[in-house]
Amino acid sequence: MAKLLIVDDEIDVREFAKNFFRKRGINVFTASSGEEALGLISAQSPDLVLLDIRMEGMSGMEALRSIREQGSPVKIIMISGVEDDDIVQEAQTLGVTGFIHKPLVLEELEKVVMAELSPHS
Amino acid sequence: MNGTKIDYKKELETASKGMIMIHDHNLLIKLLVRMLVRKVQLKHAGMILYEPRRDTYILTVSRGDPGERIPQNFIRFDKDHPLIKIFFQKEFKYLISNRNALVADDINKLLWRESVIEGVNGTRQLLHQVSDQMPMLNSVACVPAFYHHTLLAVLLLGPKKDGGRLDQDELDFFSALASDVAMAIRNAQLFEDLKREADRNRNLFIQTTIALSTAIEAKDSYTHGHTERVTKYALAIARRMLAKGTLEAPPKFLENLYIASLLHDIGKIGISENILMKRDPLSREEFEIMKTHSTRGADILSPLADFEGCVAGIRHHHERYDGSGYPDGIKGEDIPIIAAIIAVADTFDAMTTDRPYRQGHPKDHAFHEIRTFSGVRFNPRVVDALVELYEKGEI
Repeated sequence: MAKLLIVDDEIDVREFAKNFFRKRGINVFTASSGEEALGLISAQSPDLVLLDIRMEGMSGMEALRSIREQGSPVKIIMISGVEDDDIVQEAQTLGVTGFIHKPLVLEELEKVVMAELSPHS
Repeated sequence: MNGTKIDYKKELETASKGMIMIHDHNLLIKLLVRMLVRKVQLKHAGMILYEPRRDTYILTVSRGDPGERIPQNFIRFDKDHPLIKIFFQKEFKYLISNRNALVADDINKLLWRESVIEGVNGTRQLLHQVSDQMPMLNSVACVPAFYHHTLLAVLLLGPKKDGGRLDQDELDFFSALASDVAMAIRNAQLFEDLKREADRNRNLFIQTTIALSTAIEAKDSYTHGHTERVTKYALAIARRMLAKGTLEAPPKFLENLYIASLLHDIGKIGISENILMKRDPLSREEFEIMKTHSTRGADILSPLADFEGCVAGIRHHHERYDGSGYPDGIKGEDIPIIAAIIAVADTFDAMTTDRPYRQGHPKDHAFHEIRTFSGVRFNPRVVDALVELYEKGEI
């Protein structure tokens, strides 16, 4: 079963996204902070990470840098608000798979995530 | 059962009518959604609001149990989204207007009765999409909030905690609340539009005033920058007086003072340049003509309602505290404070800058002079404020 890690400091987002993707047969883990995400990535080796950029404490960008420093090549989709071009560019050089902008269209999130998690991708 | 229903209806109705009056639709929506969840015992509920700037709908307010409620400001619904589109599809109008809501069970029933909708292009697909969407959002009914033909919001209702259905009576009531929400949003928008319009007029008015004051200076080039400085000093003095508590300002006082300071010499437009620009001392007749600028200025502006609060400042800016000034020779506190402030600011600037007939004095000399005439020529409260500003190095 495909593994998805959702990283967001808002519990409502974590819970909603977890239920949403579980119903689609995905094995979902959640982390409420960048630190927690780092631990789960090495322990669970998810196939895809949804990483919120704006978080209290360690930001999504800091988490992204640490994930890559840790040597993990895991696929990452950044969930962003309105971000500077600098951030988008840095994230791209750090090898993110894509960006989804909040507020998002649910079907787009579903399509992108399911495409990344399908056995052929 | 009926007893509790009537209870929450009254509460919600009172709340929503009250909120419409105070233009605060955001508060109304939060309150309604929270009360709905609590009183009707829903697992969750939310409000999808039209966002004109982005031309999309966003689930902005969400309440309910953790794990049940939808995150706020996380999901948007573009105009072609099935849950928005269905409210505009004429094939489904009867369905929604019969029930005052889009009900998940109705959609599922319709999908079973294929014949009803067969032959209409795309409608069956739309129904399928809606029937997929509603469970995604854990919603059993969506209540539209229309203003005329504009869909301003959609109330998203989760299932009841006890698993019971929402009956028609309840849906009708929610629909009435949704209309209140639509009305409140519409009112808030109108209010915003009016405010923006008023701001625009205000800006135009201020710019016109500045243009007028520039016109005065063009006639009297020796006083270049004078009006701008007087305005600056007058406002600083008034703010200082307000801070000290020596000025009781009616509403819009500062704005009126600003305009009156800019225009205090507007009457000079009617004075001959020979007099305005004269290097030698003015003759008695010439001085009498010069003195008319304060009444001329007041006369120019008095027909205009927008200047109502400034006219006294212009007419009386040459009155003296002891009653020896012009045009009316009024004294003491009879002189409107707006004029008393301009008088000090005007004199201070006149003394510290060059004039056709003499060089400007240094500031400390001007302060000394103005202080000497406190209570004679000038209102002592105004002088005190000016002195404080000087001592603090703010002037």
